[in-house]
Amino acid sequence: MAPIFKILPVLENKKLGTYRKVTLADKQMYKLAECGNFVMIGFLTLDPYLPRPFSFLEVNKNTFSILVKVKGKGTQRLSRVREGDNLKVLGPLGKKFCSPKEGVLIAGGIGIAPVYYQSKHMNGGILFYGGKSKKDLIFIKEFKENGFKVRTTNEEDGGLVTNLIKKHAEELNEKQIFVCGTIEMIKSVRNILNKEQIDNAYVYMEERMGCGLGGCKSCAVATTEGYKLICTEGPIFPLKEVSLD
Amino acid sequence: MIDLSTKFGSLKLKNPILLASGVWDVPYTKLIDFSKLGGVVCKGVSLNPKEGNPPPRITETPCGVINSIGLENKGLDNFINEILPGIKALGTQIFVNIFGESIEEFKKIASKIEGVAGFEVNISCPNVGKGGESFGRDPKMVFSITKAICDVTELPVIVKLTPSAVNIEETAQAAKEGGATAVTVSNTFPGLAIDIEKKEPLFKRITGGLSGPAIKPLALYNVYKVKNSVDIPIIGSGGIANYKDVLEFLIAGATAVQLGSIIFNNPLAPIEILDNLQCWFEDNSYKNLKDLYKK
Repeated sequence: MAPIFKILPVLENKKLGTYRKVTLADKQMYKLAECGNFVMIGFLTLDPYLPRPFSFLEVNKNTFSILVKVKGKGTQRLSRVREGDNLKVLGPLGKKFCSPKEGVLIAGGIGIAPVYYQSKHMNGGILFYGGKSKKDLIFIKEFKENGFKVRTTNEEDGGLVTNLIKKHAEELNEKQIFVCGTIEMIKSVRNILNKEQIDNAYVYMEERMGCGLGGCKSCAVATTEGYKLICTEGPIFPLKEVSLD
Repeated sequence: MIDLSTKFGSLKLKNPILLASGVWDVPYTKLIDFSKLGGVVCKGVSLNPKEGNPPPRITETPCGVINSIGLENKGLDNFINEILPGIKALGTQIFVNIFGESIEEFKKIASKIEGVAGFEVNISCPNVGKGGESFGRDPKMVFSITKAICDVTELPVIVKLTPSAVNIEETAQAAKEGGATAVTVSNTFPGLAIDIEKKEPLFKRITGGLSGPAIKPLALYNVYKVKNSVDIPIIGSGGIANYKDVLEFLIAGATAVQLGSIIFNNPLAPIEILDNLQCWFEDNSYKNLKDLYKK
């Protein structure tokens, strides 16, 4: 897979739940992007200096979009881009992952982005999905339309996605499981899966990234086989292999 | 036809643009044509594999980046057998950045690598426990390492200096006396980032190496200082982001330059810079690099 580097115009920036969905105009990504891939998005300036890695949220014939949650300087600025603004785009990056047609997806907060993109490569399954509040939870309708049984919870109402999984542990059996969320959430999910003796699970990992192309060796994740780079060897790893300490 | 070729020692580069060590890897060949570049410097190679530092390994600063990678690499044997053959096919001059924790290690590495344009001796990495910057701050050590390497190889030896030396002219002089063909001025500057949520340094090794446009004036000044006190070719490195920066380094005294973290900001920067440099020479009716020094 050869990535492309382009300057692309923003087509739309709209509020979605507690996030911003930023859509860029491009016809090439549709032909190149695969499940498990991500993009680096940067500005046309030297400050912010580094591009930021984003999972694809949606990739369509003439557009693709990412989900932005404001965390620092880069995401703050990205959350305020307007139609017609130009951004640097490098992608698709990361290792292609052959998604099963059915499976269990577990997402916390903005972890829904790659999970939603993966669901587009599936025919159905189960989604366990938790957020800080009800407003955090997006794409419920779309998941259901795509044949997913959707189980949601939110912290405002006292619920954690891990409790949801514990309650419905029987639904995890003999299926491939994919997790994306905070490290704390991933740890808890792993503990539950260990108790249930389920080891067919994968995790989307995230780390500060420099180049996205394996050049700078910044985005290391500790695994049972030593450090691996998220940009070239991930972002999806077998859950039992990664160190979460 | 504009000739941007440059020479130092027995080496001729088709232009003064090199890619620095530790910022690129083979996937970049899908985006830029390496054969257009003057050369590339490979990621630091150590005798034995180094797993690198625990994450986080990078953070952004205004117009810059601090890294704490820790020279992650798979060691000399893997480099010779698995990495070097592919890199040799890139169609440009290959310099191999070598890292030793002792003089003996440097000698072993330098004596085993063949068929490349030269070595860049890493005595300036700020992110390792042994060797690196601790060697590069001491002019006596710089001399001893340089001499030991030059004794075991016929290939040109470039010494990458640290800006943390008390007096960079002294370490440049030591490299020259040790037999270096050129010096790279310079590696990253030590810097600190704090995690305000954890209320502690962001990196496990406390400090990291600052690079990017933020350090350009500092690196440029070091080039100027070395140029005016030591008679040795200089490869300028530090925060170059566009062709004007390249011109500044060349005018300050560099024979060639290295591009580093700018390729994170814009992976096409090496080719864009080269194209713009050509245009600038054309606009000024300059035919070659020597014309740059006409007043």
